[in-house]
Amino acid sequence: MSRDTALNLPEDLKTRALENARQATPVEALAPLRRDALTALEGAAFPGRKTEAWKYTSLFPLTDGHLARRAEGEAPADLPMLGEYRLVLVNGRLDEDHTALPEGVTLGRQARRLEGLTTPFAFYNGAALEDAVTLDVAANTDVSAPIQVLHVSAGDSPSHCNTRLEVNLAAGSRLTLIEQYLGDGPVLTNAVTAIQAADNAHLTHYRLQADAGDSLHIGTLLFQQTGVSRIDSYQLMAGNRLRRNDVRAFLDKSGAELNMHGIFVARERSHIDNQLCVEHRVPECTSNQVYRGLAGEKGRAVLNGRIHIHPGAKGTLAELSNKNLLLNPGAEIDTKPELEIYNDDVKCAHGATVGQLDALQQFYLQSRGIPLAEAKRMLSLGFVNELIMSLPDQAVADWAQPWLAAELGQRPGADEEAA
Amino acid sequence: MSSQAELDNSELDRVIRSEYEAGFTTLVESDTLPPGLSEDVIRAISAKKGEPEWLLEWRLEAYRNWQTMQEPNWAHVEYPPVDLNAISYYSAPKSMEDRPQSLDEVDPELLETYKKLGIPLHEQEMLAGVAVDAVFDSVSVATTFKSKLAEAGVIFCSISEAVHEHPELVKKYLGSVVPKGDNYFAGLNSAVFTDGSFVYIPKGVRCPMELSTYFRINEANTGQFERTLIVADEGSYVSYLEGCTAPQRDENQLHAAVVELVALPGAEIKYSTVQNWYPGDEDGKGGIYNFVTKRGVAHDNAKISWTQVETGSAITWKYPSVVLRGDNSVGEFYSVALTRHAQQADTGTKMIHLGRNTKSTIVSKGISAGKSSNAYRGLVRMGPRAENARNFTQCDSLLLGDTCGAHTFPYIETKHPSATVEHEATTSKVSDDQLFLCRQRGIDPEKAISMIVNGFCKEVFKELPMEFAVEAGKLLEVSLEGAVG
Repeated sequence: MSRDTALNLPEDLKTRALENARQATPVEALAPLRRDALTALEGAAFPGRKTEAWKYTSLFPLTDGHLARRAEGEAPADLPMLGEYRLVLVNGRLDEDHTALPEGVTLGRQARRLEGLTTPFAFYNGAALEDAVTLDVAANTDVSAPIQVLHVSAGDSPSHCNTRLEVNLAAGSRLTLIEQYLGDGPVLTNAVTAIQAADNAHLTHYRLQADAGDSLHIGTLLFQQTGVSRIDSYQLMAGNRLRRNDVRAFLDKSGAELNMHGIFVARERSHIDNQLCVEHRVPECTSNQVYRGLAGEKGRAVLNGRIHIHPGAKGTLAELSNKNLLLNPGAEIDTKPELEIYNDDVKCAHGATVGQLDALQQFYLQSRGIPLAEAKRMLSLGFVNELIMSLPDQAVADWAQPWLAAELGQRPGADEEAA
Repeated sequence: MSSQAELDNSELDRVIRSEYEAGFTTLVESDTLPPGLSEDVIRAISAKKGEPEWLLEWRLEAYRNWQTMQEPNWAHVEYPPVDLNAISYYSAPKSMEDRPQSLDEVDPELLETYKKLGIPLHEQEMLAGVAVDAVFDSVSVATTFKSKLAEAGVIFCSISEAVHEHPELVKKYLGSVVPKGDNYFAGLNSAVFTDGSFVYIPKGVRCPMELSTYFRINEANTGQFERTLIVADEGSYVSYLEGCTAPQRDENQLHAAVVELVALPGAEIKYSTVQNWYPGDEDGKGGIYNFVTKRGVAHDNAKISWTQVETGSAITWKYPSVVLRGDNSVGEFYSVALTRHAQQADTGTKMIHLGRNTKSTIVSKGISAGKSSNAYRGLVRMGPRAENARNFTQCDSLLLGDTCGAHTFPYIETKHPSATVEHEATTSKVSDDQLFLCRQRGIDPEKAISMIVNGFCKEVFKELPMEFAVEAGKLLEVSLEGAVG
């Protein structure tokens, strides 16, 4: 790609996005949402090199023309099964044959207008939406079996898909949701997931992003805690050609609690950018975030964790911890834990570290006959294991352990230090 | 809220409303350029100061480049746009046309000004053993202890003097740390800077005394564009003190200074600031805009340490930085920033680790009260060559009252696997338990708050030279006695 192409990229992306949105197949149920999103998109600017929120992530890979066409492809036959109930979206469209839902959960094919979406990609998602999935959990229903939602992207040329999932937990309901992103091929998944929790609702949420290295992902995850609710979210993410996750949480009722745990790994030229923003808008809410990042080879891992405490949000407890490991030279970690506080009666803390594996620990393992590569893998695993161990769902833990072991394994051509 | 808390709050209000102690104006006739900015103004400044051709060219180049730049808007501050054409870019006290050779020749009214601030030059000369290069508006008025410094080979003079007497040094180092196109305000400064201090410490010399400059902004509508350049040659040591107060004014005054530090191999520079410029009235009207670029380069085994106590200015935009270029170099940043009323501060530091085994420490304490906003913004960057580099950052915020804001924006960028970066931040208020304990022992709330806040800032105060530690403690006391969150 020429330099000029990259320089004009924000305008090109916008033109293309607007064009796509206007040409998209009309869908009756989504029409009002699409109109609004289109207006927002018209007024939005796509990020360029100087956009602060995109400081560490370049959209250069999109010069391959992912926005030029929609992804067309078939889902692989053997899709993983992590729970009893499953819902499959292929390139953003619901695959009804593979869908089964438990009692108390209603499937809808519409989408709401969402406050709190801010990125042009999220606007584009709404403006060009051709299908959407909404899950309503009935009041006072305890859905004991987890529901797995598979977002599959498939295609063999640079293309994109918009995928949208909304989950509403009515008062007193309880749900385990496993969101899994799978994909192969140069497809950009432009995702929006929005979760709303009413009083006494409890959600356990998993986000598993293990798509192939050549895939791309730009997505927003929105938590709206409109009731005294609790959300526990576990996010396991591998970098790929371009991965950008915006997570935004609104704690809008006193007593709401949000716990987010994440592991992100960027190896072999892959890229992952996490932008977290927790908004404490009312008094007496609690949020707790624990993230662990690893980067190796030429990988780049980014985390920006913002805690915003609005005026009047007294009695807030908010914490963020982000520890990172750099595995080899050439990799990069950029982290920025932010606090924005407009209130004195709060307890807030954040901590961030970037470091390397302890040489003494490596030596200890080596002295017991464990090869260096294996020792490194073990220690890296130890660094994130705390989070894996705390996964409440056994099926997810069983999936996560081998995945992580593979992600953290020695790479060919990585630094072969003298053992 | 308990009646006790109400009582404490009324105490807090009283203290917050207290008038600015150093708010007075000295009437000295000034030789001032009409307001406005153009190439002609720059030529006029340069001509008035009798500068060599190369410096005029340097200024013009900076000006032309600056015209293509845009005012930055990323800082967490809000202010109406500054009309740079309403500012007069040169103002010198008239009596300066014949430069006074000793303090006796200095305009008595100027000396009176310093007396009111509690820094009489005579006494300082004798008691504190501090050489003072006092900047009154834009031209140095008096420089003392010159002979003693000359004995050690130390050059300490105004930058305009240095341009004439040590052109080779100025030419070599001016703009070497903060290039003339570095940022919007540094660019403006490069074009129109009027005066400032120049320090050169020769090889292996330990400067025999602490060097100090007191700044005052006096003439209304005069932007202050100081330029300070400190060069510590191999193996030398210098401690430099900068302190500021300003008279009460109703219009905003822009201050866009540039400070450049060069620590050559093995040298150590300690730069301490107490900044108490007029912060504006309760609504922020009339305060100083302080948009400063401060940066140092540390070569092999060199050390640069910034210590600052910031209590003044309506808006502060300041990031004293260290580029750790050489192997084994060390950077330090200790800061207390206090904001009240409608003050806004966006301040912090940058530690750019380029060399091997470089180390940096950042300790930042932010205190906000009233309707103020206090942000720490910092960058720690570990370059791809920064083997075994180490950083530790701690930023703590203390909030007093429920209408103020405290923010933290720490950027951490690491490109070397053997580099270690640690960042910690906490936010809290003065705890009721601490207050109760003090009051129970018969300490009045005013004193108790002052003690607690002083304790909060202790890590930074202990880094200050004696002379400054006293002033800093007093400043905090004046601003915050009796404050209860």
